[in-house]
Amino acid sequence: MTKQDFRIVGKSVKRADVIEKVTGEGKYTGDYHLPGLLHGKIKRAEIAHARITRIDVSKALAYPGVKAVLTHHDVPKVLHYGSPHPRSASCTKDQYILEDKVRFWGEGVAAVAAVSEEIADEALDLIEVDYEPLPAVYDIDAAQAPGAPQIHEVGPGGNLVIPPVHIERGDVEKGFAEADLILEGEFEGGRPVPTYMEPNVCVADWDGSNKLTFWTSTQTSFMVRGALAEVLGLPLNKVRVLVDHMGGGFGAKQDLFQHEFLCALLARKCRRPVKMEFTRRETFIAGRSRHPFRMWLKQGFRKDGTLVARDMKVIYESGAYGSHSPGVTNVGTASATSLYRCENVRLDGRAVYTNTPIAGAYRGYGVVQTYFAIDIQMDEAAEKLGIDPAEMRLRNAVREGDIAPSGHPIVGRGLEACISHGIEAFGWQAKRGADRGVAGRPSVRRGWGIGCEMHGSSAYPGIKEQGNATVKMNEDGSVTLLTGAAGLGTGAHTALAQIVAEELGVTFESVHVVHGDTDVVPWDIGAFASHTTYLVGSAARMAAAELRERVLARGAEKLQEKVENLEMVDGIITARDKPGTSLTVHEAMGPSRGIPAEHLIASGSYMPTKSYSFAAHFVEVEVDTETGIIECRTVVPVHDVGKVIHPIAAQGQIEGGIQQGIGHTLTENYVIDRTNGRSLNAGLVDYKMPLSMDMPDIRTIILEAAPDPGGPWGAKGVGEDPIIAIGPAIANAVYDAIGVRFHHYPITPEDVLNGLRARKKELQDAGI
Amino acid sequence: MKKTLLDLTVNGESRSFAVEGHRSLLDALREEGGLTGTKKGCDVGDCGACTVIVNGQPVNACLMLAIEAQGAEITTVEGLQASPDELHPLQEAFMEHGASQCGFCTPGILIMAKCLLDENPLPTDEEIRFGLSGNICRCTGYTKIFDAIRSAGKRMAQQGVEA
Repeated sequence: MTKQDFRIVGKSVKRADVIEKVTGEGKYTGDYHLPGLLHGKIKRAEIAHARITRIDVSKALAYPGVKAVLTHHDVPKVLHYGSPHPRSASCTKDQYILEDKVRFWGEGVAAVAAVSEEIADEALDLIEVDYEPLPAVYDIDAAQAPGAPQIHEVGPGGNLVIPPVHIERGDVEKGFAEADLILEGEFEGGRPVPTYMEPNVCVADWDGSNKLTFWTSTQTSFMVRGALAEVLGLPLNKVRVLVDHMGGGFGAKQDLFQHEFLCALLARKCRRPVKMEFTRRETFIAGRSRHPFRMWLKQGFRKDGTLVARDMKVIYESGAYGSHSPGVTNVGTASATSLYRCENVRLDGRAVYTNTPIAGAYRGYGVVQTYFAIDIQMDEAAEKLGIDPAEMRLRNAVREGDIAPSGHPIVGRGLEACISHGIEAFGWQAKRGADRGVAGRPSVRRGWGIGCEMHGSSAYPGIKEQGNATVKMNEDGSVTLLTGAAGLGTGAHTALAQIVAEELGVTFESVHVVHGDTDVVPWDIGAFASHTTYLVGSAARMAAAELRERVLARGAEKLQEKVENLEMVDGIITARDKPGTSLTVHEAMGPSRGIPAEHLIASGSYMPTKSYSFAAHFVEVEVDTETGIIECRTVVPVHDVGKVIHPIAAQGQIEGGIQQGIGHTLTENYVIDRTNGRSLNAGLVDYKMPLSMDMPDIRTIILEAAPDPGGPWGAKGVGEDPIIAIGPAIANAVYDAIGVRFHHYPITPEDVLNGLRARKKELQDAGI
Repeated sequence: MKKTLLDLTVNGESRSFAVEGHRSLLDALREEGGLTGTKKGCDVGDCGACTVIVNGQPVNACLMLAIEAQGAEITTVEGLQASPDELHPLQEAFMEHGASQCGFCTPGILIMAKCLLDENPLPTDEEIRFGLSGNICRCTGYTKIFDAIRSAGKRMAQQGVEA
């Protein structure tokens, strides 16, 4: 990495897409209204596992205003993926659009299109369904018990989504034999949901040539196109997927949803456009959650804190369908080979079906769960060995040359840099030595904790990724970047425009980004895996570099100079040693002296391997021992993301990830009744998220400690990292405050009070 | 279903919509008025994405029947700008501070922030937090939203701009 002066990269330029967001002009999928639009609604099962013995839609069809009703009798019978990544080795085909079987409470069994939402809703009640109930399983244990009812006919059996993932390196038994301390524990976590602000929505419209135009709020428009085409039996050029602004996704909007197929089919049947919009309640029931998990972890340490062996079994609860479970299980299990260096690991990862709503992709993708456990046990080991918890992590942090979960060598010493920097910035030593009591508030105890994480940019090697970009210079010197990457709100399009402007040598303002139309933009794998800046950014830089050469060649012709002697800065081409000899890109591209105007196009394709970003989070909590309420007061997140393209956008990712992570750790849990599979809190009042009154003081620090040669100027991902380290940091701080260890999330006030009572009894019994 | 004629002043302009009795103000604004800047995040008053100003007060437009707003003066996010070329200081500050990510909550939060600054031009951090307690943002962790409102308040106070 050569030192260079950046003109645009590394500056918090104004995001071009945000002006439309603050004026209200930006169009989200639900804002489109087409002439003759019909409204679609889905009839949802009120039983968790059953066979449909009769379904009668005659009354619904006869209801005034109803235009079509679909049941499993009327839709194509194509077994399809929930997570349709065509370049992935790990997908599970286990879904039909509609089937004569129900596998979770709330699953769609029929769909209606009508002239208004109200009429469609009323018609749902007129559909009569008879069910033959089947025995159901609502948690990991029940699903794995001998003789448990099987939820799927496909798959390896035993309610497993995929065959167990097994990873072994070194010699675990030898490692444990060398250990001075062996710790063993069980960990588990609930069912957080992403709760993006924009409920899932799509609009389908067919034209006379049997071509489908499909607006949908998705992170993966080309995957949606592929799956729709496959299931509907259409060539890819007969499906056009459009998405402009998106109201968040956080990973979960990269599934192929049942309502998307149904919307397209209803529109085809009615020959009219149909819109389907989830209610907030449906975003819980028919959306995607993080995987609830159970994990057993045994680790061995030497007296000096060195980790020498790790044995782990993790089970992810997939819910009724496989969705992203293959990916989550592989990524989550492999993540446990790393973070803290360990030569001897034996890891077993599984995903099991249950009759509950579907777990899918969600920011942190299987890693949130494993690192929660690993980082809590690291704290326990530090205490037992009498080593400061931050120092313990420094001694074990992965570093340059260690093998990453992907099998690649780690680049640089990013994790150590984050920990060391945070120790200073947070004032770790002084704080850990301070009084846990709070003056004037006798029931409150304070505590300080640390958590660490690393996360890959790109889904390699699980998915062989490819980033694409096309950059055009128009006849007037203005620049158009075409990208297939979705703009789910992160500012990725701005980062891509910055990269193009920097590499090309034009102003940021002269670059316009075109995105979100599968008929126009280059193919894209989707916006996920913290990879857009890393992957598509590299492709955009390649395209811009090629375009620059061609623009300079035109400039050379017009200036009668050698290309090698020209440079281009802010859209002005100048001869290096002749300051007066220059012309603007507009002049270069336009017609003159018999040279016609030109429009230049360059494209870049980039196939990455993998880079890793790192973080250490330092937190202060207050625990009220009378109410059990945990308050997260301060967070100092220290992240290494390589070269920062847009500092404010990067900070925003970190702060938003921390918000969600605090929620997962303390309050958020989508609860399913374990007696019948019903949703108990599918709404924003009963599903408790941290809001404006709950947010801590966050003092974000971003380091450029370990740039990766695979990203533009060394840039790496940042999207998923912040949600991972905050959980164990809070759990460790709570222990520091009240001396009670929690191995699960969310840690509720009730858990705190029960924990304090149990500890008091323990101390009494021990005569302390 | 029978429709009632609803006369409103929306963003300074007289508008008439024919609405069914059960329609919410949110649906009337979005579907009849074409004002899709105001968002539907939950439709049950929990998220604040549909906050608009009705006769000077912030209201969840999903919780108000359209016919209840008969004759009212309404401001939506589309009405924040004094002129098409000039952003409101809050809009400027949201852009500058990175207070909008996915942007779905932004219209409601901008409207809420305007109401807050109308009443209290230089709010404390606690007052800003309390003022936004009915608005869910899931992207930003609120940090940059607080920064933006603080900064817009200061700028407006210095310039004597009315929120």
